[in-house]
Amino acid sequence: MSQLFKMVLGLVSTTLICTATQAQLQSIQSEQLLPKDAVTVFSINNISLLQKISMDDLVNYEFMSEVHQELFDGSTSGKTLKDAGLDFNQRLNLFYGKSNTHELTGFTFGVANKTALFEVFDDFQVVESPLTGLEIYGTFFNQLLIYDNKAILIRIEPTMEHIDAVTDSIWYARGNEMPFDFFEEAPQEEQILDEQTFEDNPNTNVFPEATENPAVKNYYELRDSVQVMLQQAELTRVIDEIFVKGINLYNFDPRFAAQLTHNAEGVFYLDNARNLDKSEGLWYFQTVLPSLYKDIQELYAGNVILGDLFLRDNQVDFEVEAQYGPALGSIYSQMNDAKFDQNVLAYIPAESPAYFTYNINLEQAYEQAYKVLLPLLSDEKNAQIAMNVLTLELLNEFINKEALFDTYKGSMFGTFNGIKKVKTKKIEFSYDEETFAYQETETETEAEMPIFTLGFSTARADVPELVLKHMSRLSSRVQRFENYWRIDNAILDAAPLYIINTGKLLIFTNDEDLARLHPKGYGKGALGKKQCKAAKQSGFMYGSVDIPKTLDGFPTEVLTPRNAEIVSSLKGKSGQITLTSSETNTEHTTFKISYSFEGTESTGKHLLDLVNSLYLIYTLNP
Amino acid sequence: MKYFLVFLLIGLFSACIEISDDLTLNNDGSGTLRYKINLSASKVKVNSILALDSLDGKPVPSKAQISAKINEFVRILDAQVGISNVLVEENYTDFIFKFSCDFSSIRNLQDGIKLSIAQISNEKISTSADQFWLSWDGNTLVRSIPSYITQQIKNYKLEDAELLKEGVYTSIARFERPVASFENKLGTLSKNQLAVMVRTNTFDLKENQHLLDNTIVLTPR
Repeated sequence: MSQLFKMVLGLVSTTLICTATQAQLQSIQSEQLLPKDAVTVFSINNISLLQKISMDDLVNYEFMSEVHQELFDGSTSGKTLKDAGLDFNQRLNLFYGKSNTHELTGFTFGVANKTALFEVFDDFQVVESPLTGLEIYGTFFNQLLIYDNKAILIRIEPTMEHIDAVTDSIWYARGNEMPFDFFEEAPQEEQILDEQTFEDNPNTNVFPEATENPAVKNYYELRDSVQVMLQQAELTRVIDEIFVKGINLYNFDPRFAAQLTHNAEGVFYLDNARNLDKSEGLWYFQTVLPSLYKDIQELYAGNVILGDLFLRDNQVDFEVEAQYGPALGSIYSQMNDAKFDQNVLAYIPAESPAYFTYNINLEQAYEQAYKVLLPLLSDEKNAQIAMNVLTLELLNEFINKEALFDTYKGSMFGTFNGIKKVKTKKIEFSYDEETFAYQETETETEAEMPIFTLGFSTARADVPELVLKHMSRLSSRVQRFENYWRIDNAILDAAPLYIINTGKLLIFTNDEDLARLHPKGYGKGALGKKQCKAAKQSGFMYGSVDIPKTLDGFPTEVLTPRNAEIVSSLKGKSGQITLTSSETNTEHTTFKISYSFEGTESTGKHLLDLVNSLYLIYTLNP
Repeated sequence: MKYFLVFLLIGLFSACIEISDDLTLNNDGSGTLRYKINLSASKVKVNSILALDSLDGKPVPSKAQISAKINEFVRILDAQVGISNVLVEENYTDFIFKFSCDFSSIRNLQDGIKLSIAQISNEKISTSADQFWLSWDGNTLVRSIPSYITQQIKNYKLEDAELLKEGVYTSIARFERPVASFENKLGTLSKNQLAVMVRTNTFDLKENQHLLDNTIVLTPR
């Protein structure tokens, strides 16, 4: 009886689980097909977006031809996104993910018309599916998985390291010798780069030779097979995870799910903690210092960047929230716990096309980082790290931290004040009339130069003064004037750098007018009350760029021809970019980048026009 | 050589430039060539380009790389038949480069330069007679601007017209005996009558690459 009861219970449970999974899959939307391993996702809310950008307009932009080419592998001429049979009532989710062995890229979307979809994806072949209801189609690179009215297009690439490791393992296990002849003279770099030499010398074209037995694969053939098998194995795993177990990013990370509830045109998700975990740059830590690596992982736990893109009237807003765990949060919150230094505002001219203020407390950040990071490092039993810890602790004891952090407190500001002509010198060749004997004459000339100012708060003005005083004794290029120091030819070996030490601010600039005429600030010519208030209220960072003023004022001659052309094409477009940040606490910091513009055209059209202008410049001038 | 070419591009295409070629020709056909490139009027721009890692996808050479390439050119040229005393002065503060060499004959000079450029750039430069830019029969000098220079100027974009108009190319020919006549209407004769100078701006030279061509006839010995 009890066995029968258990069997019935088992069947009921299995049925319930299956039903639940099926029900879950029946009701899911495209975002719920995102693999759990996706670490970066940009999700487009088509319904909201298409109310602001007409599909007819969108597909007619030149840059969309590139999208169509990429999307449809260039095999379906004349077809556009509009004809692709996509369900625009569902989100379009672009993703990228990386595990230690594979890279995953692709997008998920809703399917409205499968016939139309396959007129566009016409080179996909049917692949046998292990699951009822799941259709699989494939090309050499991509797989298209369709379940009900949603689909995922995915490309799986095993990492080269993983392919090599598996191939080597099989190769040597079969008793083969080393596949490469390391003693053969390698072609020199110059020879490889020189196309003509490479073509003329077939001996440098080293391809693997076929084995004596054609049924036995050589190393490279084996590696190709391994690559295909690894792709297939990973695809099976992904299918099992999403369609059998019902595990996807949406239910794996509630922060992502929560983000999708926002009424935004686009949503951005970047899991920094998992990114760190898969980062190849940290292989040294992973292999040589595993415990320290684990500590770093813990430090980064919970570190995720979430963003919303809003298209509003005459404004595009990108709102970003950086979330972090308690350890990293404690450092950030201490760092950003700084009082805004109002002195900087006097040195930002009202007419400045672009400026920023940055307000941090370096001493508090240092103390907190010391408190959090040093124990992690101290626990590590590694000679080099132990020496570094000792050095750090000794410096911490012996250095006058108060003087150091009073000299550079951490708060700073910067401005771009357009271009001005600066005086410089040139050499002219001249020839006398009698014999045309040659002479060189030094004359003054003017060169256009972007004018930048960078300043930071200091409570120890005597320290930089001391340094400059000694520098002036060593070099005649460093000279003291009434309100400033001047270092000749410091900028691009041609123009002077001015250093203004106000006692509370140390300012570096190549603006002679600021040094000579405004060493105490611009007074009434400084930033207006409204902008000052915005900067003061904006957490640790504030930035403002007046696009037409900045671009009109930027000297295109110092840019590369391509970049100069881009800048020229954007000239005349109205627009203002503002960067603001919230106050930081131990859990998060929020940023907002707003692009606002004047005019009657819709925000979507304005944005697409900008994108298209840039696209045309790049494609028409390769 | 790619680095060197990039640097030449920087000089010739992006900046206000002053070029001077100064040929001293003895009666026996030997002589001295002095060549100067002056970018001091554009040193802000040149410095800003040198601060870049790459320009239009091509790596921007460091000063040390440029210097190494120039010295390689000097070493190769110095080994050519009939060429001696090859000297180069590099001034990276004002970006003035001065080159000079002695030659036994006009033919040696042209062959030596061509071969050196070909060797350093791995490019085949035609050695046919029509590519020669100097000829001398003992009494008459026929000269033009080498095609590898005029070609660079020709490639200059018209948008840079203002910059081109500020650039100057000076071509001087000096002799041991007085000049009897010369053809180029832009030319001037020195008061001692031993030298002819032709000057033009780089814009006009782009428009007409034969603007500085000249045929100079000397008085009989």
